[in-house]
Amino acid sequence: MEASAGSVQPVERTLFARKASGLIKGWSPIDGFRYSFFSVNLYLAIWSFAYATFIPRGSLFWSIVLTFPFIVLEIIVYAALISAMPRAGGDYVWMTRIFNSPIGFVLAAGGWWFILWQWTPIYADMAVETTIKPIFRILGFNSAAHWLTTPNGVFISSLVVIAIASILVAIGMKAYAQFQKWAMWIGLAGVLVAGILLLVTSGPSFKAKYNEAAVKYYGAHGLLDLTKYQTDASGVFKYDSSGALIPAKNPDGSVQKYANAYEATVAIGKGTAQPASPFTGGLSWATWTLIPFMLFWMAWPNWGATLYGEVRGAKDFRKNIWQMLGGLTVPTVIALAALALLAWRFGYQAFMGTMSAYWWKISPFGGDYISPTAMISWAVNNAAVQIILIASISLLLFGWFGTLFLSSTRMIFAAAFDRILPESAAKVSANGVPWVALLLMAIPSAVCAALYAYTPVSSQYGVTWFKLFTYDATLVIIAMFLGTGLAFMVMPWRARNIWNSSAIPKWKIGPVPVMSIIAAGFAAFLTFNLVLYLKDAIYGVNNGKSLIFMGVLYLLAIVIWVVAWVVRKREGMSLETVAKEIPVE
Amino acid sequence: MRVRVFFATDVHGSEVCWRKFINSAKFYEADVLILGGDMTGKAIVPLIETAPERWTYEMQDISHDVAGTEELAQAERAIRDHGYYPVPMTRDEVHEYSAHPERLAELFKREMRSTIERWVAFADERLANTGVQCIVCPGNDDAHDIDEILASSKTIMVGEGNVIDLPGGYQLASSGWTNPTPWDTPREEEETALKRRIQAVVAQATAAPERLILGLHAPPYDTALDVAPKIDWETLTIQGQDTAHVGSTAVREVIEEVQPVLSLHGHIHESRAAVRIGRTLALNPGSSYVEGALAGCVIELEGKDKVKKYRFTSG
Repeated sequence: MEASAGSVQPVERTLFARKASGLIKGWSPIDGFRYSFFSVNLYLAIWSFAYATFIPRGSLFWSIVLTFPFIVLEIIVYAALISAMPRAGGDYVWMTRIFNSPIGFVLAAGGWWFILWQWTPIYADMAVETTIKPIFRILGFNSAAHWLTTPNGVFISSLVVIAIASILVAIGMKAYAQFQKWAMWIGLAGVLVAGILLLVTSGPSFKAKYNEAAVKYYGAHGLLDLTKYQTDASGVFKYDSSGALIPAKNPDGSVQKYANAYEATVAIGKGTAQPASPFTGGLSWATWTLIPFMLFWMAWPNWGATLYGEVRGAKDFRKNIWQMLGGLTVPTVIALAALALLAWRFGYQAFMGTMSAYWWKISPFGGDYISPTAMISWAVNNAAVQIILIASISLLLFGWFGTLFLSSTRMIFAAAFDRILPESAAKVSANGVPWVALLLMAIPSAVCAALYAYTPVSSQYGVTWFKLFTYDATLVIIAMFLGTGLAFMVMPWRARNIWNSSAIPKWKIGPVPVMSIIAAGFAAFLTFNLVLYLKDAIYGVNNGKSLIFMGVLYLLAIVIWVVAWVVRKREGMSLETVAKEIPVE
Repeated sequence: MRVRVFFATDVHGSEVCWRKFINSAKFYEADVLILGGDMTGKAIVPLIETAPERWTYEMQDISHDVAGTEELAQAERAIRDHGYYPVPMTRDEVHEYSAHPERLAELFKREMRSTIERWVAFADERLANTGVQCIVCPGNDDAHDIDEILASSKTIMVGEGNVIDLPGGYQLASSGWTNPTPWDTPREEEETALKRRIQAVVAQATAAPERLILGLHAPPYDTALDVAPKIDWETLTIQGQDTAHVGSTAVREVIEEVQPVLSLHGHIHESRAAVRIGRTLALNPGSSYVEGALAGCVIELEGKDKVKKYRFTSG
């Protein structure tokens, strides 16, 4: 046998390694960063900014800054768990091993499997509103743009998302990783161009271009509505007894109009009480209440956690942290910079006005959501360049579609291996496509898409009631993260051998490991958010239908586990022993 | 007659995983224990003497200082549990082993042999008079001379190249040899030679295919059992997120031809999976030895044409 030195210091060897099959899987730093970067997705940021218009007294800027350190706690918790138990299945595996099978399965099935069905129409909605419709408007495909907002359009676009996500999973990790690589760099190049445009275009010029585009893409097709509405002395809209806005009228009875789209947008910002600056609100309670909205985009640098294979020692623990921290920091900095630049060039109140206009259905642009990418592209007076810019940045969204199902399939596989799900759930075709797991995602996703598209419209919010509880999609995952955080908190006691074998730093404060304290902080942060979600109607999730929806998901998970337990018991198998530690002595 | 089999593989020198494997018979109420190979560790951790009764060592990129024999024993146990061999030595000895690979190879040999001897003693103590059948088949990473130590056991049967009768009329035909790896390990060979080797073992079996179990360390090619990170054979570096099928075509062909009721594999730690190849259920429980967790699979043999009841475990 030949021996050689491996992983050694040049002067003094700390390890002698022999020739042995070392099937060690570690993500390259750039791969890990890319996955996290896509997960903390800038399009989710854009979408959550729109939701922030519902709490205008809070500071969007400071809510992002406040959320950041708590997500760093999440990163440390997940980096440690990946390092200690690097298993495909992530949260499911950790919770089942540290707590037990039913807790692990119910929380993980809710978070990694069922609730991702709801993300499908959300992704479709985002893609349509931020990218497809703006491009269609530039091209003059107004009928198609309108059709996309109809229930059929929403449903069909969701089916397209399901198809894209399925194809990306079916082509395998290699091809998908290649696609993601290009998508990230092209998307970032687009973001850079957008940033340069904001820097070199003066405020007045930017506003003038906005008005030009409004006329060209909307006014010319009879879609621009510059109706002026009555306001109080502070500029906030007045409403009639039915809750409708009251048009301002001239003495002759004719409806007053704003001079241009920008003036209308600013008025909508003021009319819906949006702040004049992203800093307005400071560190007030209202700012803290924006954090649950921020989780919609900032909570996911750990999204690759279900995919990790074998990793090595503490260097990998640190590498995991740096990868995820980079994936969180870069989009956070971009988002904050975008807010600052848009506030500078366009006016913060106007920027918030573009989004509140969408929610309040008073958009001057025929009801369209004016995506920041579209708005910035309009600074260039060339339709082709506008489309290229919108499309290139949108690769940051489309490059992420595959992960909608990819992580879920890993959790389904892990549960199938534990025999909670039937063997067929982990079935892979001859060319490696996990088609059963894909179907377990795709079919219910289509049902959720139908609910998103066809359920009745809320009279209060003007969207379907299923769309109203978009934040269920975050809540259920946050609940799973809470379970994982608590599992990590007690890991030194409940999984002592794994804890001791791991390369996680074992620092202590008194008798308590520092890592447990970090996990407790992370868990407390998540609990804070869960309480807000369930207590405050502003997040759209504490209504009866939403609670029933989430209850059904958890009930489904419980039923699956109980049925599996009964079936396996009859077969002479005990599900409880699957994850129990075998005595050593 | 129902026979419960517990199968694990690739413990790679982990003391804690070996002890769990032996204790798993009672824990899972198994009639037969099968270990699929790669028992021996991949590395030696030098506990470098810095002063009388003081040592320092590095593991998982973390430095540890050890004082006194009690702490030394604890450190040695932690290193063994991780799958490495702890060896106290002076700085001069470290340099000597660095400079003389042949002496290092001899040290590896000694450590592997002494570890296997200790493991055999533990198995003999725990499994004696239990009625549990324990079969161990070394894998491609295991040096040839450990077979004789295993064979000296009163309770362990050596799988390599043998067909072993199991309860219920089942037979287990085993080989730990694999197709070539980038590491040039002790038990690997080209596919044609490997196929001949496996066929020769299978030819000894007298059981019908529905009573035949193959214990082959290499997984069948192009299945969910053989997906590994793609490695550059020259630099031995991982190629991004790319993966490749690295199993054996010989193993796959034999399974397709013989159609045993069950086929047990290891080798690829991250490919924990089960697939059907015709009538054969092929399993790879993967390995989590680095964590001190024993990845395994409990299989119920019920005398039917197909194995339907199995579950992966993480103990």
